[in-house]
Amino acid sequence: MNRIAQGLTLVLLGAAALTATVPTNLYLNWVKAGFGPFLVGAGAVTVLLGVLVIVAELRGESSALDQSEATPEHAHGAEPDGGAAFDGAREHDRAVAEEYGDGGHGHDHSRAPKVAWLLLLPVFAVFVIAPPALGSYTVESTGGSSGPPPEEQSSGGFNDALTEADAGETVSMAVQEFVMRAWIDEDREMAGRDIELTGFAVPDEEGDGWYLARLQMACCAADAVVNRVEVVDDGPAPEADSWWTVRGSWVEPEGELSDVSDHQFRVEEREEVTDPPDPYE
Amino acid sequence: MSDRTSADATPPSALGDSIAQGWSDRDELPPADWGRRTSSRRTGTVWLFALLITAMAMAHAWLTDELTDQAFLAWATIFTAIAFQALPFLVFGVALSAVLTAFVPASVYRKFIPQNAGRAVPVAGASGAVLPGCECASVPIAGSLIKRGVAPAAALTFLLAAPSINPIVMIATAVAFAGQPEMVLARFVAGLLASVVIGWIWVRFGKADWLKLPSRTHAPGASRWQIFRESMLHDIMHAGGYLVVGALAAATLNVMVPREWLLAVAEAPIISVLVLALLAILLSICSEADAFVAVSLTDFSPTAKLAFMVIGPIVDLKLIAMQAGVFGWRFVARFAPICLVVGLASTFLIGGLLL
Repeated sequence: MNRIAQGLTLVLLGAAALTATVPTNLYLNWVKAGFGPFLVGAGAVTVLLGVLVIVAELRGESSALDQSEATPEHAHGAEPDGGAAFDGAREHDRAVAEEYGDGGHGHDHSRAPKVAWLLLLPVFAVFVIAPPALGSYTVESTGGSSGPPPEEQSSGGFNDALTEADAGETVSMAVQEFVMRAWIDEDREMAGRDIELTGFAVPDEEGDGWYLARLQMACCAADAVVNRVEVVDDGPAPEADSWWTVRGSWVEPEGELSDVSDHQFRVEEREEVTDPPDPYE
Repeated sequence: MSDRTSADATPPSALGDSIAQGWSDRDELPPADWGRRTSSRRTGTVWLFALLITAMAMAHAWLTDELTDQAFLAWATIFTAIAFQALPFLVFGVALSAVLTAFVPASVYRKFIPQNAGRAVPVAGASGAVLPGCECASVPIAGSLIKRGVAPAAALTFLLAAPSINPIVMIATAVAFAGQPEMVLARFVAGLLASVVIGWIWVRFGKADWLKLPSRTHAPGASRWQIFRESMLHDIMHAGGYLVVGALAAATLNVMVPREWLLAVAEAPIISVLVLALLAILLSICSEADAFVAVSLTDFSPTAKLAFMVIGPIVDLKLIAMQAGVFGWRFVARFAPICLVVGLASTFLIGGLLL
């Protein structure tokens, strides 16, 4: 990979990072919203570095550096990209590279290893595939909710929307907060409350019911954890991956809270929403 | 000349092929042509990228909506997520490493880091607790530390300790394991212990020629900014390419290995620890996020979760690939197994004592 190619690759990579963050919100499909500014910064630095490398190369600046650095056996090549000088001794260098890794000669740093071409893959991913947020496929293939947390049953000490809301009010909760409460709140404070949840629909593979799910993400989509509630309502199951805001109440289970595999939610009212800006919570 | 230009500009079947083709062809040409061949190579490269961008624009217009396979899209999402999550850390890491190379004189390291490698190792381990950054950042930083004359064992200890026990990781662990401070303590102690012990093992048994490090002696005329630029370019190209390899492998396994397989072994005491260690290696989650994943693996024992958080920052697919890019495969083939064994021993010891 010569220096022009390296510079252009960096410009494209930076442009991909900037495209996913500035004009679009694509990055929210992959990473936490908090990563946005860092991605913008990293993208800008990458573009800048790429441009500097290309400019230096076109001005022939690196030629001087390489010339004074080249070992005598290669010193006949004064090419700006250091590449042609490298050619003559290519077979030899390859043997050396096999022996010591490709830095064995120490003077070839103007070339990048072939693996660096792979930096174009994230660029293809952004511009061609534009990967969507994980959805019902992931919920189905991971086999449902992550399960109750192992901690001892707790009561009180919750810091969510329900704690702050007044008794009669409809509480808008994250699906994650809802399932957490449902599993470990021994005081069952959610019972009888009006609750509003937003998530995407996952039709039940076996029955004709459906789940309302939302993926919880700590850092990026690779660590996404499924939270879902089983919806109890009369209407037909909505299409997979359509987004809904549902209002209703928790179906209080009879036995131990942590024995329930999927907590149920009785829906009184449901309303389709366009995808929320951040698909994860 | 003109044939050569057009040969370079014809649509390549694969990027690597076209480049390799160009190289071998040029061996036959006489030396007098070298200067001109370079400019034709440049033209060829520019044409190649122009073609590439056109192809991407066309694919964006016609292909994007055709890609509907759910499994493929989930894979692409996870691959992109890992790659772009790591990008800021990678850029931060290579920038810091370039600063160390270009602006900090070697004498500073001699002042702060003991010359004796055996004593430098714990110092390096403790300094890992100070500098925030994940494993993607620490690989190039460790590389430049070695180049600046820091004992390799100490730099490697820093490489392991920084992602294992840095403040952000400890806070993330405390948030994920709310109400279980012993888990945070166990992670800190086990991570630091493993890093320092591996460092000492390297002091005792490590050989200098296992490490491939480009001996980049810069031309006397080069300005600091030129050195900075060259160092950043070099590190991004080496570590970045392998980061993509790691992200590809991790995304593939993330999508292909069903979680049920893991849950089936969660009950067995020792096997479950080994399984989560293996999972940490395969998933290659950033160390700042792995605590949240660990806490979600609710069927496993605390020691198994500790293994997930101790092994993940020191050995995983993404790290192995990146270390190979910076230090060479001869190094990785020895270093990764040591890390795994010592990390597991440390996990069992600390897990037995604290959890």
